[in-house]
Amino acid sequence: MATNTFTGASLSERFLRLKLNQRLAFNSIAGQRYSSISSYGRRNVSFSSQPRSIRLTVSCAAKPETVEKVCKIVKNQLALSDDSKVNGESTFTALGADSLDTVEIVMGLEEEFGITVEEDSAQSISTVQEAADLIEEIINKQSP
Amino acid sequence: MGSSKVQRLSGMQKQVLSLYRGFLRAARSKSEEERCKIESIISQEFRRNAEDVDRKNFLYIEYLLRRGNKQLDQLKNPGTTGLSSLQLHYSHPSSKG
Repeated sequence: MATNTFTGASLSERFLRLKLNQRLAFNSIAGQRYSSISSYGRRNVSFSSQPRSIRLTVSCAAKPETVEKVCKIVKNQLALSDDSKVNGESTFTALGADSLDTVEIVMGLEEEFGITVEEDSAQSISTVQEAADLIEEIINKQSP
Repeated sequence: MGSSKVQRLSGMQKQVLSLYRGFLRAARSKSEEERCKIESIISQEFRRNAEDVDRKNFLYIEYLLRRGNKQLDQLKNPGTTGLSSLQLHYSHPSSKG
């Protein structure tokens, strides 16, 4: 079975809080400093007038080892050579992935990290960095 | 079309990707050997349809989605051990003569 090798609960907790705060700030929810985000409660059904291409630049990016792991899985999934240039900024499209490939990449990441990525989240990933960020966010949420 | 940065998927495209994910998930619950077979067949099937089917042929795509979902439901059944019992090797309506 997949074992979660991530340690440092206090660090991950701080990371989680920072991430949540930034997300809340982006959603313009004033006043609330912390709230538990339930994956089942879809209350934010309001449509944002801002184009989806505008993304929040997080100051606390995923750990380098997570990005490295994602790069490895992406290379393996797309049958790229080991010396291919894949980094956090690489987009799956630029690496030659179509939408079916992207689904496979996300599935591979799920197995590697022992997580479950929600469909909407999976379809919004376009770069290695975004995948790594989402993975760490999910890991922190799913761990008890 | 959508920008190269963010893929704007139509509703139908999302359904196709959702179905693809479903098959890959179902394959995980099977034995390692069967899983490889399933993943290979599913991948070929989706990619072949991606090339052959006109993306504006909505009726046919909807038909494929409905049939795919039925096959997925069968595959999810624990009693289904492999694809042979699913009869995924259907006779394709001769689009290639």
